[in-house]
Amino acid sequence: MQHPIRGHRLAVSLFALGLTLAGAAHAQSQATPPALSVSGFGTVGVAHSSETHADFTSSVLKNSGAGGTRRWSADVDSRLGLQLDLAVNKRWSAVLQLVSEQGLDNTYRPRVEWANVKYQATPELALRLGRIALPMFLTAEYRKVGYVYPWVRPPVEGYGALPFTSGDGIDANLRWNLGRVRNGAQVFYGHADEKLAYGMHAYGRKVLGLANASDLGALSVRASLIATEASTPLAGELFEAFDAFGPAGAALTRAYAIDHKRISVASIGASYDPGDWFLMGEASRTHSRSLLGATRSFYASAGWRHGVLTPYLTWSRVRAAGATSDPGLPLAGLPPALAGQAAALNAGLNGLLATIPQQTSASAGLRWDLATNTALKLQYDRVSPESGSRGTLINLTPGFESGRTAHVVSVAVDFVY
Amino acid sequence: MDRFKSMRRAGVRSLAAACLLALAAHAMAADLVVIVSAKSPVTALRPDQVAAIFLGQSARFPDGSEAVPLDQRLGAPLRDVFYQRVASKTPPLLKAWWSKMVFTGRGQPPAEVADSAAVRRRVAENPDLVGYIDRSALDASVRAVLTVQ
Repeated sequence: MQHPIRGHRLAVSLFALGLTLAGAAHAQSQATPPALSVSGFGTVGVAHSSETHADFTSSVLKNSGAGGTRRWSADVDSRLGLQLDLAVNKRWSAVLQLVSEQGLDNTYRPRVEWANVKYQATPELALRLGRIALPMFLTAEYRKVGYVYPWVRPPVEGYGALPFTSGDGIDANLRWNLGRVRNGAQVFYGHADEKLAYGMHAYGRKVLGLANASDLGALSVRASLIATEASTPLAGELFEAFDAFGPAGAALTRAYAIDHKRISVASIGASYDPGDWFLMGEASRTHSRSLLGATRSFYASAGWRHGVLTPYLTWSRVRAAGATSDPGLPLAGLPPALAGQAAALNAGLNGLLATIPQQTSASAGLRWDLATNTALKLQYDRVSPESGSRGTLINLTPGFESGRTAHVVSVAVDFVY
Repeated sequence: MDRFKSMRRAGVRSLAAACLLALAAHAMAADLVVIVSAKSPVTALRPDQVAAIFLGQSARFPDGSEAVPLDQRLGAPLRDVFYQRVASKTPPLLKAWWSKMVFTGRGQPPAEVADSAAVRRRVAENPDLVGYIDRSALDASVRAVLTVQ
């Protein structure tokens, strides 16, 4: 998803590998021929926000949203996904998933979300190689498939922290049972590369992901941990300028620059879904010694299913777990010209620290299942960025004030095919 | 007048009989059995074990042998009853479940065949397969391992 060009090449070569394996396996066994299935998903949605000095959007990887850029935006939730599944035989399969949605570059150019080859070593153990969604949060792996969940979009408060959603590497998935409790454990290792604005990238080295999901009847619990060493040239000029201020400046660069910094995201979530109703909640914490800061987030959601109608309520919050401001360079004793420069750098740094999200949302919505593959959703969100933060809003203009609630109304049709 | 009454009584009686028949037919239509091949060593399954196999969470019978589910076609009334009773899933919830599995690369839904007779035929031939059929379609080629009520 990150590097469209490299991603496509990777996907194509993995798929070619899949086809080669298909041919070889077919020649070898002459059993059932390889089966290629095509499926997909999509959302057509519009959102309106009352906050005209910022954009409400569904992810930090979007160029714009509803509110400031335009009152009504179709870019917040609309997307189209296509998936090719190649089942070579009982053991080998390959998957390629392309998703077209608005990105940071303001285009809908399809990106490779998944591209991997899977080897089912035993009915319990599967190994995958290629591009794999990182095992974060309850809904992270399928958050682009709106039909799967009740809401218009998963709570936005949980997704602001890490710029990576998928990685290139290997993973192992193991199913195991403990009495009547069915578990699925996952270990991922690889690297990640996300394209940011202005041609910059965020790189994640040594990405380690661990997750375990446990199911017992209607109860499902999932715990996950992602850790990586992240680097990005984002705000590089600011830190170069700090470095020129000697040891005090260099200390600030060390504290905040995203340069080989450990970032971790840990979360635990549970859902109880006996069919007629559901209740789910998830808590997560992100940690980094950088300008990405440390945050804690939580959401809870409940809904009732009455035939084709599912009304639901959601409450969600993210708070900073560390400092969201810094005194910066000491100005005392500096000559006036340098003091001015230092004050400007301090303001720049604090501007970045104010982007650490602090926000509370309350939402109410209705899902209407129009057919067994199509759902219409209406949702109202009361989004309140707090404590001087912009929350998850983007594209702020000078009239923006933290603490002012944005009222967001969304309509979406989700489908799978 | 009396004749009229008795006619009415007869009418009520036949209506009641028709209702009973309809109820019986309904009960029969909804009387589902989960089956394996008569050649399979599996003798009984719990509803949660059947649900796990049909939802792609488990690929083995309790004895450790491989289990492959075989579904009835989409829209078959028996299919909707089966998933409602075994997994508490309506057709949209089942579709959402498989969308989640497919689009996260975790699996594909079971293969489908046309009706109870076709399920029985395929299951009878292959001890790995597990299916569900109308009880009236049972014969000696397969073994009922769970009655779904």
